[in-house]
Amino acid sequence: MNSSMNCENFHSQLESWLEGERTSAAESHLRSCHSCQAIVQDLDAIHSAAQDWSREEVPAPSTRVWNSLKAQLESEGLIRAHGSAPAEESSSWFDRLLPSFARPAMAGAYLVALMAGGLLLSSPGSQQMADQRWMEGTRNTTSPVRTELDAAETSVASYQPSDPVVMASLHKNLGIVDNYIALCEKSMQEEPGNETVRDYLYTAYQQKADLLAEMTDHGDEGR
Amino acid sequence: MPEAEAIRLAQQGDAAAFERLYQLHNRRVYSLCLRMVGNTAEAEDLTQEAFLQLFRKVATFRGESAFSTWLHRLSVNVVLMKLRKKSGMETSLEQVTEPDEDSGGPRRDFGAPDLRLSGSIDRVNLQRAVDQLPPGYKSVFVLHDVQGYEHNEIAEIMGCSIGNSKSQLHKARMRLRELLQEVMRSKAREERKAAGSGSGVED
Repeated sequence: MNSSMNCENFHSQLESWLEGERTSAAESHLRSCHSCQAIVQDLDAIHSAAQDWSREEVPAPSTRVWNSLKAQLESEGLIRAHGSAPAEESSSWFDRLLPSFARPAMAGAYLVALMAGGLLLSSPGSQQMADQRWMEGTRNTTSPVRTELDAAETSVASYQPSDPVVMASLHKNLGIVDNYIALCEKSMQEEPGNETVRDYLYTAYQQKADLLAEMTDHGDEGR
Repeated sequence: MPEAEAIRLAQQGDAAAFERLYQLHNRRVYSLCLRMVGNTAEAEDLTQEAFLQLFRKVATFRGESAFSTWLHRLSVNVVLMKLRKKSGMETSLEQVTEPDEDSGGPRRDFGAPDLRLSGSIDRVNLQRAVDQLPPGYKSVFVLHDVQGYEHNEIAEIMGCSIGNSKSQLHKARMRLRELLQEVMRSKAREERKAAGSGSGVED
């Protein structure tokens, strides 16, 4: 006894059908229903057109893209010619922090925060001195870097967001990054010499700064 | 220079390594951007922005995912941010679904006249229809049907589940069907109008 399928049922299975999962009931319905045949044929035609599109050769971007990119990377100090001596670890790490702040509105606060962070985390002189400075800097849960970023966060919180949904999403991400920062700071206190943790913490500060800058943008739009 | 070596040297700031990574990946990134925005100048700007973000963060690349996946995730993010700014809509990587999503079935009533698309879709019309898709649908459609990514890759790039990727692709295709049928109806109306005005001419 064949179980008959109506169009509505077929449509509910259409996604699976297109992925190759075909039931006998669906096949039977499709054989007899011109409307559903039309849908399947149209979707096949769209897929086929997309495949043709994918086979069209896309030219490479113009040389302007690489030239502009290279100039920007050089101005940010991110690249050096092959064979030249690498920059001191602390200054190249520090230099990499600066390009993160493309938004002038909060760049000043973030720059101060990261300069403070750079002083704390850089390793001129002996490792022991750097570790001691780090330990002093992170002895309290609110380190100078954290203090500056927290101050920026408080400022952003006073903005009227142009899109509350977007801002809520950004706040949520900020909470996640804050937890991550707390974890990294705790690990740094336990293992001051651990460069991997130091890199993770640097990345987390950068992420927080990026998020705050984005929240500033949304706050600026709403003001 | 093999990619792994280029990544290692790029993490040390080597200019030749950066250039090598750019040479290896620029066409695919540009192709993705161009198919998403349909405009060469904008696509070039987005390509530049994607690589700028990549090179700023290359030191943090740990190899947990393939480098190309990481780069394409950055690229999709850059494009989505741009589309979001254009449309004023929130489009996070997590938020691929649309507020008014339906079951993915056809919206038209049964029995309405069917306009067959087979043989009628040219690249220009397809690009125009894709341009009208919401950013999330557009991303999944372009990544899967045009760029050839598998759902597991799209899930990693878009930060969604494989099931979500499949579902969004299906909805994107259904929406494209509606948009392309509307194009056909407009064309048919214009042809009828042209034919009608022609028959009114007297000797």
